[in-house]
Amino acid sequence: MASSAPSAPQHPTTGARTVRDAVVIGGNRIPFARANGKYADASNQDMLTAALDGLVARFGLQGERIGAVAAGAVLKHSRDFNLVREAVLGTALDPATPAYDVQMACATGMEAIGSLANKIKLGQLDSAIGGGVDTTSDAPIAVSEGLRRVLLEFSRARSGKQRLAALSKFRPKDLAPNAPGTGEPRTGLSMGEHQALTTAAWGITREAQDELALASHQNLAAAYDRHFFDDLITEYRGLSRDNNLRADTTLEKLGTLKPVFGKDLGSKATMTAGNSTPLTDGASAVLLGSEEYARQHDLPMLANFVDFEAGAVDFVHGREGLLMAPAYAVPRLLERNGLTLQDFDFYEIHEAFAGTVLSTLAAWEDEDFCRNKLGLDAALGPIDRSRLNVAGSSLAAGHPFAATGGRIVATLAKLLHEKGSGRGLISVCAAGGQGVVAILEAR
Amino acid sequence: MSVVEDRRTIVLDQAPPLARSYAAAARKAAASAVPGLGRSARGAGGQELPPVAHRVGGVRAERSRLARYQRLMGDTLRDSLPSVFVHGLAFPIAMGVLVADDFPLPLLGMVHLANRVEHRRTIGADEALTVTAWAENLRPHFAGTQVDVVAEVSAPGGADGDASAAGAGSDVVWRGVSTYLARGVDAPGAVRPQRPSRPDFDAPMRTGQWRLPADTGREYASILGDWNPIHLSSLSARALGMKRHIAHGMYSAGRALASTAPVAGGYTWSIEFEAPVFLPATVQFAVADAAEAGPGALQFTGFKRGASRPYFSGTVAPR
Repeated sequence: MASSAPSAPQHPTTGARTVRDAVVIGGNRIPFARANGKYADASNQDMLTAALDGLVARFGLQGERIGAVAAGAVLKHSRDFNLVREAVLGTALDPATPAYDVQMACATGMEAIGSLANKIKLGQLDSAIGGGVDTTSDAPIAVSEGLRRVLLEFSRARSGKQRLAALSKFRPKDLAPNAPGTGEPRTGLSMGEHQALTTAAWGITREAQDELALASHQNLAAAYDRHFFDDLITEYRGLSRDNNLRADTTLEKLGTLKPVFGKDLGSKATMTAGNSTPLTDGASAVLLGSEEYARQHDLPMLANFVDFEAGAVDFVHGREGLLMAPAYAVPRLLERNGLTLQDFDFYEIHEAFAGTVLSTLAAWEDEDFCRNKLGLDAALGPIDRSRLNVAGSSLAAGHPFAATGGRIVATLAKLLHEKGSGRGLISVCAAGGQGVVAILEAR
Repeated sequence: MSVVEDRRTIVLDQAPPLARSYAAAARKAAASAVPGLGRSARGAGGQELPPVAHRVGGVRAERSRLARYQRLMGDTLRDSLPSVFVHGLAFPIAMGVLVADDFPLPLLGMVHLANRVEHRRTIGADEALTVTAWAENLRPHFAGTQVDVVAEVSAPGGADGDASAAGAGSDVVWRGVSTYLARGVDAPGAVRPQRPSRPDFDAPMRTGQWRLPADTGREYASILGDWNPIHLSSLSARALGMKRHIAHGMYSAGRALASTAPVAGGYTWSIEFEAPVFLPATVQFAVADAAEAGPGALQFTGFKRGASRPYFSGTVAPR
């Protein structure tokens, strides 16, 4: 087996059973579409089913009973209480395939895949599919809180008088529906406004953010051009490429965009629609298995899913930026695996905003942050920027919240397999001040 | 015991309804506008504070009201009382002190300056509380006369007991001091102090944002009963000489505490109101550690972009 890390993780063993490798066999996603565009009519279930269909077709899983399918969506309609199971029932997979929903905001996909990998490592599962889906076009619209309470009280009422009493609490303003937003419930600030604070705190320049955005578009375009995504993407509803991709964008074009977040910072506002991810629709799925499973089914083995770690920060009390949790989770993951930040051939840092990636990198390079916030002896140091998001990331591809983890795992696994050696680091931030980071190793 | 020896305690059967208090205040204001009538004419008020405290026992939170309060503040439905909700329970009794005939300041138009509260322990939603309220420390302010209204809340039955009005003061679980200003009112012979110089307001980094709709004051009033017209509508506020209606100071305090107060155990908190929050409003909110105010202490500020002074600022510290 290819996984010979300098110091292998110490796994607790309670019996004779040892922990085995969890292998990334492959992935599939539908192209990501800008909101209210190509996929405007498609539901979460439709899109997840499409991503699974493509995965089933690619790896010949028709009629196969998969150990478990775990996925999720961030913006979920209440009718989608069993979203993933319903999607599985709509595929050619054996209906005896169990499925369940996971939700961890933008880290949903990573959490789903990481937990499945753990079950494979423990021998509880031989095969699994993890992923995610999100639509902001077909978003659940809810009745207002006021109307909801009136309706609930009305339904509980037993007499005509009680029903009247319930209805009397109705106010015309209650007619306004509630659409989900990207606002943090506890702060009332949108994710972009939160990131604007962090971006400013780390002194990340507009130019640096636009350069990162440009690289994302150029790298994604180049990856398409070399047919990198041919076995990672299945066409859906007339779309064969992520339609947020602007292969011909330039620093000049990006430089003309007006700031959309952090406008209260005045001239120091740096975050534009060009260096922030757009709202996007899409779905992704990743096939995992044990080595034996892959061999028995004559399936490829792209990479080992080595380990993953979640983090969370206190942004409510201003102690840390909303999207900085991965900065804290990565050193714990490195420590556990006996690695340094420089021991990677690829870095996949989810581009929620260019400012998120650059703030995270700046934090790892900052002696004071690493000592006082991370409790390390020294800064984690810089990374080789030529290894960052080499096949593009969310700024170019878009970011259908829960689908991003699956996009990244499949992309990185293939990059590692192409290279034939080395390892990659994944970092995904999420709403609620959370994040999930992971290590993959080439096979 | 905080009640001074020479203050007489008047035990009331129940808290005077706030609507009646406001009506009494309005009558007083109208009477004082007519020369020769009224005892506390504007500009000629302030002799001495009446040496009385009002006390009401058996005060209990109403569950549905508590739930509505917690929803309004974005707080969690818990079986313990938020500090500002306790203030709301005590408020009618404090108001009763302020509208008494011998109270020297006009209630209507008084400006809420600050609060200091000792929330000494977690207070259960079903505890029977005894509220004692009085006014003290009448003193000149650079813009008039200020006074402290003190409310002490005790739970004679203990955390899970059930008790009557007797024996207040033995187990004070909550003590709040609200400071009010009667603008332009001077006690005879009083000398107003200099207006203190105020450092320029340097807005902190915001950590949140509140969008307060125009009916914020009506929502708060419908839950905690403070129907002061300056909070209700533009029209009712203008009738009292305000530019527009403003949010209740305690609404701001309640929102701030919902995200900063310790979930369990006692704490002390304070807030100073520096500028009225005209409704509707967007309030920028900032929380930060305040180690100088004690271990685990937080400071908070509410402000408007570009304003020269904040709406309010305060601290919360675990006890």
